Amino acid sequence: MKSSIFSFIITILAWELATAEDKNEKENTNQANNSSRYEAVVRIENSSLNPDYRSPWNTGRDSGGNGTGWLVGENKFLTNAHVVSNSRIIYIKKVGDAKPYRAKIVHIAHDCDLAMLELEDPSAFEGVSPFDIGKLPQLDTTVKVIGYPIGGERISITSGVVSRIDFLSYSHTSVDLHLTIQIDAAINPGNSGGPVIQNGKVVGVAFQGYSGNVAQNTGYMIPTPVIRRFLKDVEDGNYDHYVDLSMSDFPLINPAQRKALGLANDGIGIMVAAAEEDGSAGGILKTGDVLLAIDGRPVKSNGLINYEGEDVNMNEIVERKFAGDVIKLKIWRQNKSIDTKVTLKRFLPYLIAAKKYDEKPRYIMFSGLVFQPLDRNLMAAHGMKNLQVRYHFDSYVSADIYKDRPEVIVLTSILPDSINSYFSNFKHSIVDEVNGVKVKTLKDVHDALAKDNGDYIIISLLGNGRPIVIERAKVESAQKRIQEKYNVIKDYYLGD
Amino acid sequence: MTKFSILLSVFGISVSLWSEKLEAASVDKSVIRVNTTMQSYNLVQPWEKGASSTRIGLGAVLPEGKVLVTAQMVTDATYIELEKPDTAAKTTAQVITVDYEANLALLKPINDNDFLSDRVPFELDTNLSPKDKVEAWQFEASGTPVTTQITVSKAEVRQSFIDTARFLQIQANGPVQYRSGSFTLPVAKNNKLAGLLISYSSKDQISNILPASIIEHFLKDSEDGKYTGFPNLGIMYSQTLDEQFRNYLKLDQENGGVFVSKVIEGASAAAASIKSGDVILSINGKGIDSRGNYNDPVWGKLSFSHLVRGKAFTGDSMKIKILREGQKKEVDLKLIRRPAEDYLIDPYMFDRGPKFSIIGGLVFQELSVPFLKLFGNDWQSRAPIKLLMAHANPEMYEKEGRRKLVILTRTIPTPATLGYERLSTLIVTKINGIPINDIHDVDKAASMPANGQHRIEFDSYPKLIFLDAVLAGRVNAALEQRIGITKRLK
Repeated sequence: MKSSIFSFIITILAWELATAEDKNEKENTNQANNSSRYEAVVRIENSSLNPDYRSPWNTGRDSGGNGTGWLVGENKFLTNAHVVSNSRIIYIKKVGDAKPYRAKIVHIAHDCDLAMLELEDPSAFEGVSPFDIGKLPQLDTTVKVIGYPIGGERISITSGVVSRIDFLSYSHTSVDLHLTIQIDAAINPGNSGGPVIQNGKVVGVAFQGYSGNVAQNTGYMIPTPVIRRFLKDVEDGNYDHYVDLSMSDFPLINPAQRKALGLANDGIGIMVAAAEEDGSAGGILKTGDVLLAIDGRPVKSNGLINYEGEDVNMNEIVERKFAGDVIKLKIWRQNKSIDTKVTLKRFLPYLIAAKKYDEKPRYIMFSGLVFQPLDRNLMAAHGMKNLQVRYHFDSYVSADIYKDRPEVIVLTSILPDSINSYFSNFKHSIVDEVNGVKVKTLKDVHDALAKDNGDYIIISLLGNGRPIVIERAKVESAQKRIQEKYNVIKDYYLGD
Repeated sequence: MTKFSILLSVFGISVSLWSEKLEAASVDKSVIRVNTTMQSYNLVQPWEKGASSTRIGLGAVLPEGKVLVTAQMVTDATYIELEKPDTAAKTTAQVITVDYEANLALLKPINDNDFLSDRVPFELDTNLSPKDKVEAWQFEASGTPVTTQITVSKAEVRQSFIDTARFLQIQANGPVQYRSGSFTLPVAKNNKLAGLLISYSSKDQISNILPASIIEHFLKDSEDGKYTGFPNLGIMYSQTLDEQFRNYLKLDQENGGVFVSKVIEGASAAAASIKSGDVILSINGKGIDSRGNYNDPVWGKLSFSHLVRGKAFTGDSMKIKILREGQKKEVDLKLIRRPAEDYLIDPYMFDRGPKFSIIGGLVFQELSVPFLKLFGNDWQSRAPIKLLMAHANPEMYEKEGRRKLVILTRTIPTPATLGYERLSTLIVTKINGIPINDIHDVDKAASMPANGQHRIEFDSYPKLIFLDAVLAGRVNAALEQRIGITKRLK
């Protein structure tokens, strides 16, 4: 029995350095003048430093790429978060001006793949007017995509129509879903972060497409409700992230299901499968409740609501809210309609499955054993197949593992040395206890290892009755030896 | 099986051997062709069987008109035929005893009791040792005997047929050409049965032989007509090679010992209060080294599990020396056998259809290893993680009182299952308020809908669904018309 889920590969459109640009940039003032109406559209060049989760003590791998950005306000440039992720140095280039201008990130929102940059010296853009932000474009209307995609050095313009408005996964983190607009204009690597224009106003930011031969003429842009929300969120100087109802729902299609729950067969209402206890709706929604309306808008049995004339995912209501906002829910429980309120907040445990950026990997290297907290980056870097690790990663939220172990600490690798020569079987195990102390965070491991309470250090692993035993007397010299041999500059990093 | 019956059965064998000991066994008089047709059940659509296939092997004729083959020869057999190679005379046979773990089966003609009376039964030779020359006995298609000499090299405790069952096997070197697609070949030493050849690698020219000592154990157990099976300790262990670990355990240098990392509930070690964390130093006076081997007088280092599986019977007592918290102790352990069917997840399933029950198109089954293997060769990484976790840690569910893990294997699209079509491989917790601890509970609960609805609860998304009981009943009636049955509880 094979899973029939067909997985699409969505590529992010920043142009990786691998397809490196030709450095011999040519200057042509005449053409620059012709392009001057596009001078609010800039090329962004990012040199990045990608963390090395396999040797977390190393500084990382130098890389880079380029994308597009646009002026949204005075010395405020908008682009995709993925264009400037893991950034070391950013340069902005103006149309018709060969000079790179040093820029820095003011805000970066990985959850909606947007970032705001500013120039150290904004004088080059004096007199350039920023773009206005428009509305959600209608289906089958024409839009233009402006940017610096693959295929040449100069600015490029393509056009197409709005094909579909949907609620889709943003591949930058791969766990966040937001409103997305599909267009049939050519969007290619390098277009990322560039404006999509209709009637002279920005109606979206080009950000992802399908790679390879999966689909043709499908580009995606981040629509203005998401852009506006980002701009509003950062008004106070901080980005506070999206909030989440933190619940799973099940469509109420089956008449028996509706009848059993005491509902009329009117196509309204979606069943709550589970609400995460520590999430916004925890303690308010229960399995078997039916969500009838959200902020006064009836929820259809497939989870859609009517919003500005369109059928959209009910989460669209939550999407436009901020931390601390309250939404009204009408629920159906035991044949009674109940009105309730939910104060919205983030639900951090979901992030275990998110691709992370701009974070220095945390680790402990002890006697050649490398301990790291489990997340998606770690899974990808180490290709871990261990069943316990996969289960903890996969069921971290659904099995409430996060409550018991806010961090799941994995023995990810072993730097061979005489002190650990019989430990190779323990690689990719989850640490349960160190010297009898239950491990809930990386810091717990650090503290327990540091405490001198006997001749032996006992590290118990989940699902394995045989603990790791290390003679304390041997540790100090081994640690020195291993650090030297394997060039481990610092033997732990627990975070800032 | 009691001590008393062992003695009796040994006696029984020797009498019959003696009375028939007129002629030595030979290829043409003691080997018989066994043709089987096998057809296994479809685990995806458990109401039907898959395509049939055939297997041809050679059986060893034993006293009292019995024929010994590997269990692999008769799995899911629908028809078994014995054929005399010389005359091509045939008769239909049946399985009288089978042990899939040991990979051995005894056959007997169904009606024609005298069918084998012109044959010469084998005696067993359980005294194989390295460098022995043995012969693989087989036939050309014409019935002409062929013997091939191979040389015994070593012995090893390894898996034979079922993943989890490890038994002593003998390796022999030398080229063996398989004739007429034989699947199992008798191996003889001085015209006595030394074992069954169960696999051969043409690349390395190595044959694996199930030795006569294991066969003898199997025959003794089956003598009284009540087959018990090979005992097991029911532990998981790890080696104690690591000096730091040995110091921590206070293991001295003379003793080896294996560290008990897990004790399986309901098996011998648990019954004798052996705990996780104990170190097993010796069994019946035979020291176990830090790799888990004992010193066998014939074969040298062998896994200590052979002391339990190969040398002892269920019901026997063993003296086990352990080290617990630095103190030496001796434990009297009575060997029991936790039968395969008592495990939460059946490790194998032969000769019977998978148990299932359909409610309105929802197909419920007890989870089994063969079901997990439907996910392909790399099922250990492809099967749903929750099911793999249950397989690796059955105690998680056993302590909840579950005898079996019932899952919704798939959903047949029907009017009753509208909206549920994509649900599959979900662990079922309750149906109509009744906790589901095995497939019988599903059947019981199916007759108890409340307010005209079946209420089905899962341990994961979507947690809760309902079916219209009247509609589900109608669907079941229609399915019965279409597929024959909607449940199999045995």
